[in-house]
Amino acid sequence: MATVMKEGLRLPLEKTLAFKLSERDTTYEETGCYWGTKELTLKDQDPIKYEQFFSRLQSAVFAAREKARYVAASPGGREMGESVWALATAEGDTLAMSLGFISHCAAFPVSIKHMIDNDFEENPGINDGDVFGTDDPLTSGAPHPGDTYTLVPIAVEGEVIAWACSVNHIMEAGAPQAGSWPVFTVDTFMDGFVFPPMKTGENLRQAKWWETLWMRRTRAGAMNILDDKMRLAGCSMIHGSIHEIAEEYGVEYYKQACKEIIEESRRMILDNMRSTLIPGRYEGSCFRISMLKGQQKIWKHADKNEMVHVHTMFSQDEKGGIVFDTEGSSRWGYHGFNGYPGGSDVGLYLGITTTFAHSCKASAGVNMNVDSIYHEGSIYNPDTEFASCANIWAQSMQMQCLSSSAIHRNFFMRGYLEEAFAPEDSWDGVQGSGVLEDGTPYGFTNFEWVGGGAMGAYPFKDGTPCTWAQHTQLCNVGNSEEFEYLIPPLHHLGRKLEPGYCGHGKYRGGVGQSSVHWMQETGQRLGVTRGGSATSMTSYLAAGMNGGYPAPGVITVTALNTNIPDLIKADGDTPTTAGEVLAYAEDGKLTGDITSWKYDPPEQSMGDNDLWANAAGASGGWGDPLERDNSSVVEDIRIGQLPEDFAKTMYGVVASKDEDGKVTMDAAATKQEQDALCASRKENSKPAVDWWKEQKAKVESHTIREELLDMYRSSTSFAGYDKHYRNFWQLDDDFEI
Amino acid sequence: MDIVDKGLLQQLVEGQISDIDVDEMRRMTKKDPERFWTYLDVLQEKVTWDNKILMRLNDHLYIVMNGSERIVKCDCGQEYGDYRVNWKLHADIQVRDTQDSMEKVYYPSAAAPDADWMEVREFYCPGCTAQLAVEIVPPGYPLIFESFPDLDRFYREMMGKPLADESPDWFKDKTTDFLAAL
Repeated sequence: MATVMKEGLRLPLEKTLAFKLSERDTTYEETGCYWGTKELTLKDQDPIKYEQFFSRLQSAVFAAREKARYVAASPGGREMGESVWALATAEGDTLAMSLGFISHCAAFPVSIKHMIDNDFEENPGINDGDVFGTDDPLTSGAPHPGDTYTLVPIAVEGEVIAWACSVNHIMEAGAPQAGSWPVFTVDTFMDGFVFPPMKTGENLRQAKWWETLWMRRTRAGAMNILDDKMRLAGCSMIHGSIHEIAEEYGVEYYKQACKEIIEESRRMILDNMRSTLIPGRYEGSCFRISMLKGQQKIWKHADKNEMVHVHTMFSQDEKGGIVFDTEGSSRWGYHGFNGYPGGSDVGLYLGITTTFAHSCKASAGVNMNVDSIYHEGSIYNPDTEFASCANIWAQSMQMQCLSSSAIHRNFFMRGYLEEAFAPEDSWDGVQGSGVLEDGTPYGFTNFEWVGGGAMGAYPFKDGTPCTWAQHTQLCNVGNSEEFEYLIPPLHHLGRKLEPGYCGHGKYRGGVGQSSVHWMQETGQRLGVTRGGSATSMTSYLAAGMNGGYPAPGVITVTALNTNIPDLIKADGDTPTTAGEVLAYAEDGKLTGDITSWKYDPPEQSMGDNDLWANAAGASGGWGDPLERDNSSVVEDIRIGQLPEDFAKTMYGVVASKDEDGKVTMDAAATKQEQDALCASRKENSKPAVDWWKEQKAKVESHTIREELLDMYRSSTSFAGYDKHYRNFWQLDDDFEI
Repeated sequence: MDIVDKGLLQQLVEGQISDIDVDEMRRMTKKDPERFWTYLDVLQEKVTWDNKILMRLNDHLYIVMNGSERIVKCDCGQEYGDYRVNWKLHADIQVRDTQDSMEKVYYPSAAAPDADWMEVREFYCPGCTAQLAVEIVPPGYPLIFESFPDLDRFYREMMGKPLADESPDWFKDKTTDFLAAL
């Protein structure tokens, strides 16, 4: 039979990427197996060889991560966990991943598909050792422009058989608002340095113009170039390793074994889902405020306040895989809380990969067991190519926590309590830009409260602080890294757990942490903002676990023109948490212009002795607080994690702490207080049906603030949620919401 | 550890288990499929009534057989009716919609949601006043139906023991029907 050659390429058709992508999809559609791989032939014939082969692939990506960070990297790239190196198939499906950002396996196929669909094989060509880069949410699956990808094709005799892939979170994204997560954005043109997949180098070497772009389009050009070299160094190592492995095992073995690896993991991940989940429907909701009214005067169409609604339904398909439908989530808007499906999947997959891709080869097998539905026009799938995605990570993390919440409810219902907890914790980054006294400009992001959240409460014990981070797969327990404490004007005045700051319950969530940053030597100019998860206007998720309270949002407190120097001179007693800043101000000890923000503050122009205090990383509680052991409440007071007055309000425990730190509980007063709290539930509640009738009247008379009505109008513009909303409130079809 | 016995599971349910045992459970390569049946045994022994527990929904709530019906029931004995209706509609509800009342359940005060935008809904059992759920949502938000399991499919496909009264009707949300009848 004559060999059919792809026009414009010196390759047989079946060796082109376009053909492979099409065949992969067709065979999966027909058989339900990856590339139609019904039998794991190589594994069955010689399992030792097969496993050795896979361990070589796995070793290649592990080695890339551990070495590349010490070849060249920004301090943040080296010290933080926010990176991953991976090996993917020719079609972009992940085969093996290093430690780190493993959910980015959802993004690699988006970039590669974009390049294939746009005939990159012909122009600019996809050749062995080429270097491609991207960070564009629309075309590459990046969650937000701070996550930057390097992709290197690995080809044997002209046929691409694999991609070496890498991503890390860079230090500064080059948006009008400095830092990693600009909040005050209108559209993609304010997201910073956004670039779709493009060839930036050849023969494992970047072009010189590429470095110039980083220097000209971001505020931390040198740092970002170092990270670019880090990603490429790791990809180069993977490139070399795969050539060696392919030569040793043979290209045909390589290609077939890769198909079997993904099919094998698809089956095992599905089995893990079926053996721990309960088919059904699990509803979830959460909210995020975008307060731009009065702050977008140039772009009038963005000059508004919006409550962003996230609504999800978790269920199972006929095989037992996960179906995650986001219908009812708000329509996209002129703010930074939008994203595109690839980046949304990167968020969603965080919880799913870590929960189900265990005891197997963690590969793209997970992708085939998840059907994520992002409705066109919503914040997760805007029907415009120009939506801003600068801060989508906040919304995709809340969305993935709703998925995890459903999963953990399933664990509880099925009896696997040891795996169940309240899966939520907030995070916060302090970011900004400035000009030093000598005229040197700079941009920065402080990630200390990004990598160390608290575990939520379990159904059998409290959550623990600084041990987890649902938003990144390498928790660094909230370390302040070298690059963070060297940011020029930010000095820690305090840094510790924030007492009482968690979702309370029979078992309380892990307590969050707080920092007080003291500005010194601010030079010619300093502007500070924040990026991160939902602020304290809302809770992290809308529903707590079985009577426990959901995690609180992020606290931000600013104090300008303070008397901190006087306090230091007097006795050195200065506030060490955001809560203490407010308490000192209430007592009159701290003076100045002090503001507690329940939403993202606009950029604060800061000078010497100003304070920026933040608290994040709190997690949710589990169960009825009145069922908490009194002894646990007393212990929380003793260790300084629960103020005495709040212990009485929340748990009815009446106790006092003496100067030696000994806590004494008044048993009789506690019994009386707890009885009173119980009685107040009776007095202050009503049958839900009566409440429903009253609320229905409010809904029908539109006696709800206008921004919230806008939110309901936005969500009910999707037919399924419109039906849900009208059914619940029993509204006629012609009723105008 | 290959299987979690009843004694250990009782400790887990009661919150009296050691961290070492929990770690061992988490290290199980494969979860023990028998766990569900052991769980039901442990839970059935805890409650004072005789209805057969089909599934645990919540710390206090269970889906149980009640004659030919499947209803939600609290461990105190309070019944919430058909499990296909969101049980929250049969609970008592307290709404915190002032800043002062919200600051009674969040600390420090800066962590409390904003009462101009959000409300805290607490759901109590009418029988024993246990706090069963908390929602923090804007006014006018529908109640969240947190868990609606497909019992027939679970018992048949996952556990291999189909329920005797299987019917496609068991996995139809009846919340709307209930509200329409009010």
